[in-house]
Amino acid sequence: MTNIKKRLSAERRFKFYGQLGVFLSLLFVTLLMLKIFTTGSGAFFRTTIEADVFFDPNFMQVDKNSSDKEISRASFEALADSVVNYNFKDLNEDQFIKVREMFTRRFDYQLRDYFLDNKDDYKKTVKLKITASSDLDQIVKGNYPRNVPEAQRKINDYQLSILDELNKQERIGSTFNFWFFTNGDSRDPETAGIWGAIMGSFYALMVCLAFAFPIGLFASVYLEEYTKPGKITDLIEVNINNLAAVPSIVFGLLGLGMLIGVFNMPFQVPLVGGLTLGFMTLPTIIIACRSSLRAVPPSIRHGALALGATKTQTTFHHVVPLALPGTLTGTIIGMAQALGETAPLLMVGMVAFVMEIPGGPLDPATGLPSQIYLWSESAERGFIEKTSAGIMLLLLFLIAMNLTAVLIRRKVEVKW
Amino acid sequence: MNRALLTYNKGNLIMKKSIVSLFALVVSTLFAAESFARDQINIVGSSTVYPYGTVNAQRLGESGFKTPTYNPTGTGGGMKLFCAGVGVEHPDITGASRNMKSKEAKLCLENGVTNVIEVMWANDGITFSHSNTAEDFALTRNDIWKAMSAHVVVDGEVVENPYSSWNEIRDDLPDYKIEVLVAPPSSGTRDAFDGGVMEKGCELPEEMEDDCVLYREDGRIIEMGENDTLIAQKLNEDNQRFGYFGYSYLKDNGDKLKAASVEGVLPSGETIASYEYPMARPLFIYLKADHIGVVPGIQEFAQMMVSDEAIGDNGYLTKIGAAPMVPELISRVKNVTDNLDAMGFSIEACANKEHPLKDAGYAFSGKLCP
Amino acid sequence: MVYLALLLLFIVSYSFYYFGKNRALKIKFTGDQKLASLPDYYGYFLVLVVFLPSLIIWFILLLYKSNFQELYVMSPSLFPDIAQWSDAKFGLIMNKISNLALIVNIPEADLLKGQTSLLNMSSESELIAAKNLASFDNIYGWSIVIVFILLPVILGLSVSRLINQKLNVQPIVEKTIINIIRFSSIVAILVTFGIFFSLIFEAIKFFQYVNFADFFFNTAWNPNRAWVISSGETVDPEILKDAFGWVPLLTGTLLVGSVAMFVAIPLGLASAIYLAEYASSKVRDIAKPIIEILAGIPTVVYGFFAALTLAPMLKNFGDSIGIDISAESALAAGLAMGVMIIPFVSSLSDDVIRSVPNSLRDGSYALGATKSETIKKVVLPAALPGIMGSFLLAVSRAIGETMIVVMAASLRANLTFNPLEPATTITTQIVTALIGDVEFENPKTLVAFALGLSLFVMTLILNIIAITIVRKYREKYD
Repeated sequence: MTNIKKRLSAERRFKFYGQLGVFLSLLFVTLLMLKIFTTGSGAFFRTTIEADVFFDPNFMQVDKNSSDKEISRASFEALADSVVNYNFKDLNEDQFIKVREMFTRRFDYQLRDYFLDNKDDYKKTVKLKITASSDLDQIVKGNYPRNVPEAQRKINDYQLSILDELNKQERIGSTFNFWFFTNGDSRDPETAGIWGAIMGSFYALMVCLAFAFPIGLFASVYLEEYTKPGKITDLIEVNINNLAAVPSIVFGLLGLGMLIGVFNMPFQVPLVGGLTLGFMTLPTIIIACRSSLRAVPPSIRHGALALGATKTQTTFHHVVPLALPGTLTGTIIGMAQALGETAPLLMVGMVAFVMEIPGGPLDPATGLPSQIYLWSESAERGFIEKTSAGIMLLLLFLIAMNLTAVLIRRKVEVKW
Repeated sequence: MNRALLTYNKGNLIMKKSIVSLFALVVSTLFAAESFARDQINIVGSSTVYPYGTVNAQRLGESGFKTPTYNPTGTGGGMKLFCAGVGVEHPDITGASRNMKSKEAKLCLENGVTNVIEVMWANDGITFSHSNTAEDFALTRNDIWKAMSAHVVVDGEVVENPYSSWNEIRDDLPDYKIEVLVAPPSSGTRDAFDGGVMEKGCELPEEMEDDCVLYREDGRIIEMGENDTLIAQKLNEDNQRFGYFGYSYLKDNGDKLKAASVEGVLPSGETIASYEYPMARPLFIYLKADHIGVVPGIQEFAQMMVSDEAIGDNGYLTKIGAAPMVPELISRVKNVTDNLDAMGFSIEACANKEHPLKDAGYAFSGKLCP
Repeated sequence: MVYLALLLLFIVSYSFYYFGKNRALKIKFTGDQKLASLPDYYGYFLVLVVFLPSLIIWFILLLYKSNFQELYVMSPSLFPDIAQWSDAKFGLIMNKISNLALIVNIPEADLLKGQTSLLNMSSESELIAAKNLASFDNIYGWSIVIVFILLPVILGLSVSRLINQKLNVQPIVEKTIINIIRFSSIVAILVTFGIFFSLIFEAIKFFQYVNFADFFFNTAWNPNRAWVISSGETVDPEILKDAFGWVPLLTGTLLVGSVAMFVAIPLGLASAIYLAEYASSKVRDIAKPIIEILAGIPTVVYGFFAALTLAPMLKNFGDSIGIDISAESALAAGLAMGVMIIPFVSSLSDDVIRSVPNSLRDGSYALGATKSETIKKVVLPAALPGIMGSFLLAVSRAIGETMIVVMAASLRANLTFNPLEPATTITTQIVTALIGDVEFENPKTLVAFALGLSLFVMTLILNIIAITIVRKYREKYD
């Protein structure tokens, strides 16, 4: 009887190992997500300092009757300085510089944007929430330690005392950071945004799709339906299957060597990045399409042929539409993979400091994963949370794409 | 079966329609880019100049031009791209943390890049730095060379470098293992370091002079990528390691890193500007004169870089670590940028190792157009 | 302008489909003879006739647009010495005029500083040329649009007159379609083989500098020795001999890969067994997709995590118990990679285990075995080929992984089997060789292609083995 007991306890142990495996895997997912979420969520908010802003005509080049164009051209730097002086009286030169540094460098932009919408506040005083500088933002968020000697801090003692003072007056607040979504890259972490990278990836993926989907679809149809099985088609199939497993960096090499080296295409543009990603996704789409075509039972084809259809009619009216859901899911999954790949982008140069938002596939750009990579290498501490926030966004896109693929598969799939 | 057919038909139709429209959208984005005309400045080059160049680029963008892009390829790589030719597909500006070499000037000549304006815009110091949780180090260039060189002189004989910890080099140094993170050979900082430290601190006999700059290969010299910020990050992780990089990176990480003093002097804005710090060196940007007037903003970029707002006492570049030059050099460079006057620098001359400031007696004069 | 043209083309083509089809239907129902082809085909025929020529013409117009621009704008009357200009100068001036053309008709008050600066730096003739270019582009754009309305319509209408019951368009349409897809497959094949050939081409260039045997069997990796070469200089092969040794890279790759598999295999297999055999379908439906998320997380994230969290954690842990763990240990990169690979092992194994028919299990239970005994002795052996296949696939994924090792592992080659030491991998060196100073004639850059080729071959072999094992040993149960 002990034998049975032993076997049953072995059974329990075995089951436990299985549960442990699943549990640990799920744990890793959760830990990763938590880490990313906690680090990155800070990026969606930015610290503000409430200040009294007096639109002093002495420091302004425009007035309430100026046109929008004139206002956008005018400099608001002097006004920004005057606001500092207005709110903090009797500062000597050194203190003035330190306090000014506590506000974002683009203080003048905020004033200008406000004035564009509120010209009637000319000569009036309003309370505005001005964005704080990245260093201050990080201290308020608790990412910088406060209780270390001054030399080891980015905020000096004087600035800390002003911060405490402002806190007491309840002038430190926080607001939603929509700049993260509308701005391009920047050297100041508080104004850096991810829109440029999103557009770069968008154009690259569009190019990738335009290249890989039609060619992949048509090629699969031809190889599957119109060619006879033989040595050559086997060779092609092995080659394509292998390519699907080749590391993405090899495709980056191809992009660099062929597109840039031989065809002299410009460096750093989504067109080249997209084509490289297209090379990478082509095998995936072909494999997905071919397996969907194969899954269509011969009876469909036979039925159509029996009714007198030609091969082309059979293929395009009957077989291909049935294979389309599988092909589409494969395409979407391939696109999701392409979105997350950094190595090919690195190879073709889509990884530099680019502030302007690209307007088309031929403008210099970075991509979402390479922007994350760039930010993770940046020295300014403020970029750490931006990196995590970028990762969150990337994951969101990927999950959305994969969910779409799964939904399509469920909805339009016909079960044989 | 009927239900299946129905869903299949409806799905089929939706599928067809959506595919066609998707395809149309995709193809049209491709052709939305009609012209290849470039109106954005393209900068390449030194990763030491990168933090300054990008800040200046951002300011240029804010003042009404398209913001330039900066690809930090390293000084060497930047020179190669820059000297590859004149034309829209080539970069307009290259940043350099050392002067152009005569070899590179020759390359420029060969490819038709003959009109180049050299802008020496500020000074920078190469710091030999480590984590600020480590003990303070006071080093000489000779000490550093002994730690890093492939061959050293022990008891009068040239041997493979045997030192494994700093106190073997000098008794009063702490007992830390020797491990130095370095930049790849394409880095201008490395060139400047080799010239300023490895050559100066060398003890090898004259016939082995060329080997002065060879680093040891037993694993104590770890080559990092071009990115100086990565070196700074890695130094945080192990406080016995050293690394060398430009002063701006030290300043940026001032809360985690500190520099060793070299021959008694710590790097700072003042000691670098006065060249009292032995490892100070000038920084350059090179402009392609043929592109000025074709791609807007090149001259303005250079003018901004040497303006008082940038490198004055509270300049936005000074604040992140640039050390201003002496007044006569500042007025000289302002003449260069305002009037596009090369002031004696030319590619032909540099290819022959000639430079207008070579005999001017500055600390860096020996290293011009080597 | 472009969008408009394309949209019109699509609308016109689409409507011609119906036009042709209806015409055919009319003939069919009013005449008393049989139509040569199905009405559908006449519709498609018209679409092809209308769409294809216009598309081709448009391609040509777009491709040569810049040539036409140059012909029109760069005339010697504006630029007398144009014949002596170098190609570079021509390109630069053309670029300048193109930029000018975009702003030359905008009132001055609306211009940005950059644009006024460009205007101020332009000569009279350049400004005139720019104005000419602007009007040229305008006319060009509109004429394309008109062409896209007139041409298709004329073509379509004239060809549609040819439709009568005798006209058999079916073969024409079918042949065209087949040719289109044949063309696509040629492109696809070219791409897939082209990758292979471009690798070989550049790798051959590399092997002209470094001996085959030296590369694959040497244990020293110091690519900076090749730095002394600039193009045109003859190279002393002695220097290069000890510069490019593949062996430490291979060991580094295998080391990191093994650490990864140590994590992924137990966890992945255990999860697969549990989900396939023990878990209820509810648990399975939730857990399986969540685990698959691990595979979808971009590798940049793992690299970030490995470099900034895992590596320092390991180092501190090592310091606290007195073991020296490097800050760029293979362990850190391997662990992160292992977590990433778990879903590869678990998903594939799970599918394989589930495909083992229940009759085998039932037989085992009938003989009195417990569930775990059944799994261990019946199911797993039956599923073994597929599981091996999934392992191999995971290994090839680990070998080819780039970002995790670039961010977390070392850049220094180290021939070691100790995961606590730093190591570098093949993929890291490929990236290092191609970032920064890129010179396509220097072996320092070309080595990337040789490395890429070795990677390609390794994964090819692994895949072939995986497929062969699965094919050869798979039992067909039905």
